[in-house]
Amino acid sequence: MFLLKYLFQAHFSEGYLPYLAVRGAVSSTVQTGGFFSTIFSSLFGTREMRILILGLDGAGKTTILYRLQVGEVVTTIPTIGFNVETVTYKNLKFQVWDLGGQTSIRPYWRCYYSNTDAVIYVVDSCDRDRIGTSKSELVAMLEEEELKKAILVVFANKQDMEQAMTPTEMANALGLPALKDRKWQIFKTSATKGTGLDEAMEWLVEALKSRQ
Amino acid sequence: MFAKLKKKIAEEAAVAPRPGGAARIPRSVSRESITSVGADSGDDFASDGSSSREDISSQLFRRNEQIRKLEVKLSDYADQIRNLQKIKEKLENALEKHQDSSMRKFQEQNEAHQASRAKMAEGMALALEKKDKEWMEKLGQVEKEKKMLQTQLQEMREQSLNLFQKRDEIDELEGFQQQEIAKVKHMLLKKEESLSRAEQELEARAQELTHARAELQEARSESSGLRKDLQDLQQQFLELQAHRDELMTAETNAENKITALELREQELQTVIQQLSVDLQNMTFEFAERDKLTEQLQEKVSSLENKLERNLSGDEHVQELIKEVITQLKSTDLFIVSHNLSITSGLQSEMSSRETVSVEIAKALEETRKQREELQQQTKWIRNSHLMCSTDTKQVSLFPDHEAALLQVHQLQLDIEASQSQAVEKEETARKEIDELKLQVQECLLESTRALNNEHFPSPENSVVEQNGEVAAADVIQLQKDNRELEQQVAEKNKMIKQLQQRMAELKKTLQKELKIRPDSEVLELRANSEVPNASVTVTNNSDLNDSREINFEYLKHVVLKFMSCRESEAFHLIKAVSVLLNFSQEEENMLKETLEYKMSWFGSKPSPKGSIRPSISSPRTLWP
Repeated sequence: MFLLKYLFQAHFSEGYLPYLAVRGAVSSTVQTGGFFSTIFSSLFGTREMRILILGLDGAGKTTILYRLQVGEVVTTIPTIGFNVETVTYKNLKFQVWDLGGQTSIRPYWRCYYSNTDAVIYVVDSCDRDRIGTSKSELVAMLEEEELKKAILVVFANKQDMEQAMTPTEMANALGLPALKDRKWQIFKTSATKGTGLDEAMEWLVEALKSRQ
Repeated sequence: MFAKLKKKIAEEAAVAPRPGGAARIPRSVSRESITSVGADSGDDFASDGSSSREDISSQLFRRNEQIRKLEVKLSDYADQIRNLQKIKEKLENALEKHQDSSMRKFQEQNEAHQASRAKMAEGMALALEKKDKEWMEKLGQVEKEKKMLQTQLQEMREQSLNLFQKRDEIDELEGFQQQEIAKVKHMLLKKEESLSRAEQELEARAQELTHARAELQEARSESSGLRKDLQDLQQQFLELQAHRDELMTAETNAENKITALELREQELQTVIQQLSVDLQNMTFEFAERDKLTEQLQEKVSSLENKLERNLSGDEHVQELIKEVITQLKSTDLFIVSHNLSITSGLQSEMSSRETVSVEIAKALEETRKQREELQQQTKWIRNSHLMCSTDTKQVSLFPDHEAALLQVHQLQLDIEASQSQAVEKEETARKEIDELKLQVQECLLESTRALNNEHFPSPENSVVEQNGEVAAADVIQLQKDNRELEQQVAEKNKMIKQLQQRMAELKKTLQKELKIRPDSEVLELRANSEVPNASVTVTNNSDLNDSREINFEYLKHVVLKFMSCRESEAFHLIKAVSVLLNFSQEEENMLKETLEYKMSWFGSKPSPKGSIRPSISSPRTLWP
């Protein structure tokens, strides 16, 4: 059953749905593909969740993305554009976008905000100097109308380092307790060691399910 | 035949005696009649379906009549059959008779036939034997002939084989011949071609020859011209040699003059030495006289003291003083006259030396003039030499000319050497003259200084002294200035070196910063954040309208991804691409519609809008 579902989903996402299924299931008055996809996603309950990984440059966004996707630590270079990968976690499919965090390309984050289900905000726990910058970027991002309904997960990354800040310290520094009308949670993670990512993703999955 | 007839007859006979009479009728005849009668009666019955009894009776009557008629006919037929039977019997008898007779005849004929046949067989056997013999003989003959023919055939075959072989050979030969002919033809053609080529070449050669002859003539004329030139040049060379000899003599003269001048200089030096000795003597004398004057002054002072003490008897003393003063004056006058004589002697010597130096300068000018002339001549010779060399290159026929050239070259070298020697000599002469001048100046200075020590210095000497001091001071000052300037230059060089080192360091640091750009950014940001409550720049919502701020690398990356990723991912990239490339809202919507069309399997392709619309004036209408 799962395999069939998967196949169907794969075909659907590629735009190759068998014609007979279409004839059988849908009336010919349906015109747009968007409506179509909602029908099918509601039928199978496996719509791809859209997640953005944001944060300042060097916070470890790309490492986290590939840790989630392939479970390995990859060597990364500064992301000039973005990386997008499909990550499957607990039978839930995520389309994860890792946007480059350099100052010059941070303004382009908001081109990607629409239809976002969740935001993973990655902060370097050792970078005490730039926590202020990180906070202001986070606050500005959360003010965007398109992200009103998005769930926020903060990754206090690089916890394997000795001089790392504690999650509570960081939550206060980022002004998280002051957030209203927002479902958020902070997790201490280490992308290189792979710790904390599972807990964070589990919480995110539960949050997304409960929201539906 | 007869049996059938008999059967028929028997049947008829059997039918005829029946009491019914008309009930059964013989088949062949009766059927026709019955059918005909039946047909008639049928018609009657049909018509008489509802007829009366009378009709039936009449019919019955009619039938009876018909029966009677039939019976009559029957009896006739019976008679006829009887007659036929009688005839038959007769015929049978006749037949039997005939059969018997024929049998007899047959037997007779058979016997005759067999007899004749036997005879015939015997005759035939005899004949056959004869014929066999004949045929055997003939066969033997035929076989012999056959053998003969076979032998002939074999011979013929052999002959034919030979013939075939010969024919093949002939064919081969013909082939070879044809090939050879073709070859020969080919060779001929080639030969003809080569001949034509050779002819052409010959013509070309002939033309070249004529050309060459013409050139030869030209060359000869040129060579004759060159020979004339050479002769001229030789003449010139001779002239030049004469010139050179003259110059050499002039040079020797100059050298002689120079040696004479040197000798004079030596003489002058000796004179100067004598003068210096005199001067020393003079200084001694001056010293002595100074002492004398001092003594006298002391005396005067003592006398004055005495005078102050003894105001009474002064006149004697005053006389004494006057005497002393007169003595002093006389000595002074003597000294002055002596000095004047010495100075006059020096002045005369100076003038004589000046005249000598003027003479030397004149001689030098003369030698210079001679040198210039020599240089001009050498230039002229070089030009002519160049001309000659070009000519010789063109023809290169004249070893004499080369020898002449070599000589010219040697001459030039000699001239150059002599010039250098002359220059050296000039220089040495100049140095010597300078030295002489210096010595003279020194002598003058010394004499003036000696004179200055005296009480009555001459005005001329004081002037000379001032000038000398001034020049020396100038020289010292100049030297100081020079040193200062050199020091300044050295300091400036050091400064330049230091600045260059700084430049190199700055370059290195710049390169490092460029290489580690993100780090430098971090550093910058850290530097910013160190300032408390400094405005932390929020970049993720800053203005994107300024297209110049677009990071080209970013644009490239996004466009590449947009074109290569899945459609569901590309859909989310439309916004980014639109922002980066400044798409209008219409264009962005068009992109979205197109992608939705691509993702779905319904709907029609959205019509292109904006700048990607086909560039036609009137909007395209759909086909009717």
